[in-house]
Parts: sequence; structure tokens; C-alpha cells
Amino acid sequence: MSKQLLTKVGMVVLLFVVVPAVLMAFDRGYFYQIATIAAVFVLLAASLHLVTGVAGLLHLGHAAFYGIGAYVAALLGSELEIGFTLGLPAAGLAAAFVAFLVALPTMRLISIYFAVATLAIGQMLYLIFLNWVSVTKGPNGVLLFSGIDFFGFDIESEIGIYYVVTAIMALSVVVLYRLTNSYYGNALRSLREDDQCAAAMGINVTVLKMQAFVISAFFAGLAGALWAYTTGYISPNDFNFSQSILVLAMVVVGGLGSLPGAVIGALLLILLPEVLRDVGDTRNIFVGLVMFGAILFLPKGLFGEVSALRFARRILGSGWSGSADNREVGWE
Amino acid sequence: MTALLELDGLTRHFGGLTAVDEVTTHVGQGELVGLIGPNGAGKTTLFNLISGFTRPSSGAVRFKGEEITGLPPHQVAHRGMSRTFQNLRVFPNMTVFDNISVGALGALGVGAFQSVIGGRKRSHEISERSWEMLERVGLNEQANDLAANLSYGKRKYLEIARALAMEPDLLILDEPAAGMNHSETAELSQFITELNSEGLTIMLVEHDMSLVMGICERVVVLASGRKIADDTPVEVRQNQAVLDAYLGGDDE
Repeated sequence: MSKQLLTKVGMVVLLFVVVPAVLMAFDRGYFYQIATIAAVFVLLAASLHLVTGVAGLLHLGHAAFYGIGAYVAALLGSELEIGFTLGLPAAGLAAAFVAFLVALPTMRLISIYFAVATLAIGQMLYLIFLNWVSVTKGPNGVLLFSGIDFFGFDIESEIGIYYVVTAIMALSVVVLYRLTNSYYGNALRSLREDDQCAAAMGINVTVLKMQAFVISAFFAGLAGALWAYTTGYISPNDFNFSQSILVLAMVVVGGLGSLPGAVIGALLLILLPEVLRDVGDTRNIFVGLVMFGAILFLPKGLFGEVSALRFARRILGSGWSGSADNREVGWE
Repeated sequence: MTALLELDGLTRHFGGLTAVDEVTTHVGQGELVGLIGPNGAGKTTLFNLISGFTRPSSGAVRFKGEEITGLPPHQVAHRGMSRTFQNLRVFPNMTVFDNISVGALGALGVGAFQSVIGGRKRSHEISERSWEMLERVGLNEQANDLAANLSYGKRKYLEIARALAMEPDLLILDEPAAGMNHSETAELSQFITELNSEGLTIMLVEHDMSLVMGICERVVVLASGRKIADDTPVEVRQNQAVLDAYLGGDDE
């Protein structure tokens, strides 16, 4: 078996055999819960990676699009009894649509101005979740009892839910992988590096930035729906500014521009507080120290962009090796 | 000779300053034209007007017979015009190969959807074209190095290779020899001449006269935004207005 295939099979086995086996061996609701939260945040970090890590747009309102997905899924379920099969894509599309609307006037802003605009959008949406009581139930949040029905099958067991959530997360990450480890990804990276120069190469900068922003919001919306369906209860504070910052921290600690970095960063910042649970309330100081140390000693992240792209080209076989010397360069 | 690029009374004001003043000229198919002028003569502004980075206050730009005045840079690029920048702009945190690929993908186009499902044929096209340009400028050994880690001279060639990967009809070079020593400049002029002899139309701005005078068939001279000469290098060298502009004549 080639090393590319071996690596891919290994990842699938880890996600769909090893982790579920461990979860079933312990069989504690708490572990299932952590696995689900980890999957949701991996998806959030991977989606922010597209817009902030690759396209270089500092996005400070990502949690708001996560919130839109969660509210759409929860409200469709509790008010209209529209279940998971339709609710999940609806949540993603709703988040993408709102992102499209706000992107229209925002995309021409650069650097720090863009960051402040997304901060404002995030706060605006959060305040809507909090104050539009007749629709969002305001600070009381929304209860959702329906759970996950997958094309008519009710998935009730914890392991079943793990499989559904993980499968959707994995599929989304594969799509984000293809988007960033391809020539489309190179086009996005060129925006981050020098957007004027990219325009001189024939790249429509505004349209490409909008695409990255909207696609990223779509996956954040899916993450929100997964959150709503698995926890059964959402409230505005799940989607406030500190959540946006948490996801941003995951992407930066893991390595800006690196998809495996985003995944590792998300796992670290979700699992570390849980591992340190016995330490008590001071555990957040340890989490902070780890983040601080990571940035200080590994400013390019735990799995930086250069290594991530090399990993994708060589180990995962996404590179092009059609040149005379068979070196993996570019993208297949 | 048919004109590939025509400038007609091109003017640009910045506040009270007229950076480019009623410039009318043309670049014929297959020509190698130089644009010179003292500091602040409006050379870069003129290039920005042609490539869509700055909108003209008045006047027109025609490319391949089509009016392109006021089109955004990416649309100008799609029509077959590609440029480099005055102070060397490569994508520093991308590999040498990926840098060049942006020129190829910009011209050929890539879609989000294609990159997820299918799109292999397009990827191969981009890869092959990029590799060809990489070999052309002799950077194949450094294909996977970050552009930021290349020497200054090699980054210059990288920038040109990226522009060539668009397979343009007109290549605009903004001060390609800036910061190069004598032998590097000689090597670069050789390369530019070679590209031109293959049929590529080139327009180049140079601050330093020697490169332009050595390789261009025709030289356009700007001073204070106005065209003061448009002739062969030999004629331009003897042109009184040009001498005055460079040496600071007082009969303005």
C-alpha cells in the first residue's frame, strides 16, 4: 500500500474505529459530549482557517455565523418540526446567505478595518440573538428536543450521534482541504500576500474574498447546527465575542494558514481544559500559559503552514509531480 | 505595424498636480519600447493608468483595438496584459513554484467548485505551464523554497516568470534592473531581448538610461508628466529637450 493511501486509511480508522472503540469502552456520557464539542470546534477552526489563515482576512465575528446556524437549526426544529436532514443544510445556507449580505459592503475594507467591521457584525448578530425575543427567545435560549433524524432514521444512541457528527465534520474538513490545497488555495493565499499584485495577475480580488468569507460562514453554520442538535439547548452566550476569539486562538496556536494546525489547535484548546479538570478553577491559567508558550516559542504554530503544505503534497499525495525531476510541487 | 497598445491624450491629475499630461503614443505588435524620464516624471503613474491601477482623469487607453480605459486591473490582465512592479512584489510566504502558478491560474481561471470536485485537467495545465516558466528562468532547484528566501536577483526573475506565466501579449516591466549590478543588468537585458525576439511585445520603464538605450527599438521620454520625445535611442540621445530634462536645463 502506498504511503498516501496508508495515511488516509489511518485517519479514517482513527476517527471511525479507534476513537469510537475508546468511547464505548469507557461508555460515559461525558466523554461522548467532549468528542462532540471537539468535532464542532474542529469544524469551526477549519472554516476560520479558510478565511483568516489562507485568505488572510482577520475575521473577529466568526461565532456569529456559527450562531446563525445554531438558531436556524434549533428554531426550524422546535417551531416548525423540520428535522436534521433539512435543518442541517438550511443552517449552513442561512449562515452563508447572511455572510453574503454583510460581505457586499465589507470586502473592500483592508486589514484592521476589515477586522473591526467583522467585530461589529459579530456584535450586531449577537445582540439580535439576545434581544429579538419574539423569535430567538432572547436570553432564555431555545430548547430542541427533536435530536438527530437522518433520512427517517432516529439516531438516539450516543455512539450513533458521534458517527453522524464526526462524518459531517470529516466531510466538511475534506472539502476545506480541497479548497485550500489546490490552485484555488494558491489564489486565496495570493490575496493574503499582496492583493494588488494578485489583481495584476488577473484575479478578481473582491469576488474571491467574498467566496472565502461565504464558504467559511457556510461551514460555521453547519457547526452551529451540529451544536444545536447535539446539546439540545442553545443560548446567545454560546455565540458571543469570546467564542470568536477562542476559535481565532485555535487557528493561530495551531498555525495560521495550516489546516492540520487548525485541527490540532481546536483539539488542544478543547481537550486541555478537560484533561486539567482535576486542577480546579486555576486550570484556565494553565491553558493560557500553554497558549502563550506556544505563540512565544512557535510563532508559526504547532504545525505551521510550510510543513502543512509539504505534508499535503508529499504524504497525502495532493502535489503535482509531473515535472522532469518528479518533485512534488504545485497541486494535482 | 499594427498598434497593440494606443494611448490617446492620457491625463491624470492628483489634486493640483498633473502627474501625466496629455500623453499620446502607441506600442506596436512585437515592439520593445522603453519609457524613461527623470524622477517624478510620471512613468509609474503612466504604467498604472495603462494597467488599470489608476483611473485616468481624461484620455483613453486602447488595447488590441478595444477601449480598456477605467477597467479594473484583473480585467485588463485578462485581456492579455501583464506587469511587474517597481519595488519587487513577489508573494513572500509562498513557494517559488506557487508564486509562478498564480500567474498561470490568474490567466486560466480556477473555481472553488472545480477545486473540490474534478478540475484535474485545469490543474495539470496550470502545473505544466508554471513548471515551464520556472525552468525558463532557471529556478527549478528552488521550486519549493519560499520566495522570501531567494536572493534579490532571483526574486526579480521570479516576478518576471510569474508575469510570463499569464502568457501575455504585452509585458510591462517597471524598473526591472533597479538594484542590480552591472553584470546582472547585462544578463537581464539579454533575457528581455530574447523574450522580445520570440515575438513578445514589451514596454519597460527604466530610471537608468543604459539598459533602455541598449535594447529598445524606440524610446518614449517623459518629463513632468509630458511626453517630450518619442524616437529611436540614437535620436533621443541627441534630443535637446531630453538633455535639458536630465541635466536640469532652464528653458522649460
